[in-house]
Amino acid sequence: MAQREKLKCPGCGGEMNLHAEKVDYSKALADPQSMDAEFGGALEEFHTCPRCKLTVERPATD
Amino acid sequence: MDAMDSSAGLPEKPLFIPVILGTPRKGRSSEHVANFVAAQVAARPEAGTELIDVRALSLPASDEGEAIKDPAFSATMMRADALILVVPEYNHGYPGMLKHALDSNLKEYIHKAVGIVGVSAGPWGGTRVIENLLPVMRELGLVTIFWDGNFPHAQKTFDKDTGALLEPAHVRRLEKFVNELVWMAKVLRYGRENVAIE
Repeated sequence: MAQREKLKCPGCGGEMNLHAEKVDYSKALADPQSMDAEFGGALEEFHTCPRCKLTVERPATD
Repeated sequence: MDAMDSSAGLPEKPLFIPVILGTPRKGRSSEHVANFVAAQVAARPEAGTELIDVRALSLPASDEGEAIKDPAFSATMMRADALILVVPEYNHGYPGMLKHALDSNLKEYIHKAVGIVGVSAGPWGGTRVIENLLPVMRELGLVTIFWDGNFPHAQKTFDKDTGALLEPAHVRRLEKFVNELVWMAKVLRYGRENVAIE
């Protein structure tokens, strides 16, 4: 996980930390294209900015 | 002093994540699952593991709790940074032998991560036994993660003779589960060793 691309914080421009991947079932219901068949939902990444504490969710990049 | 991981400021000591096979039942499909899970953990550079079979523990049925500790089991739990429980669903619940074994320790579990892998013959992959185990984990001082392992139709998922995995999608699913468990184990180890209660 640690070797993947570091996102830039949209709030303060700092480097964000990728700290989790999680299945988001609601997103897959709203957007069927986001469904990952192996997980039964949308596989998402969660990045948090250590400076301003903003957390960003985006589709997993693995 | 341990080498430090510059990305996280955490020590690089390998994590120890034993896998507990939670049923002694003869003919158990969970054994293939536990072997697969242990092999996946063993393949990771940041973690070591050991497969613990509740069938092999020396725990009398004439008493319960910490009075009946199996010294080797307790020592392994003490050394662990996280646990993985491989648990079949029996009548919507967990095997009594697993609870009997888990109850023989307490301090050994405090602020350690736990992930649960449910196993079933039917289509739900042990989801009900996982839900039933969560309050037990909390009371034992273990910290649960939001990923689970689910192995529905376990008898068809592995070759019954060789134990070979027949459904490759489980590799990627289990990788995500172990990723989260490793993250939680690192954070909790840092906390146990460095963060004092106020």
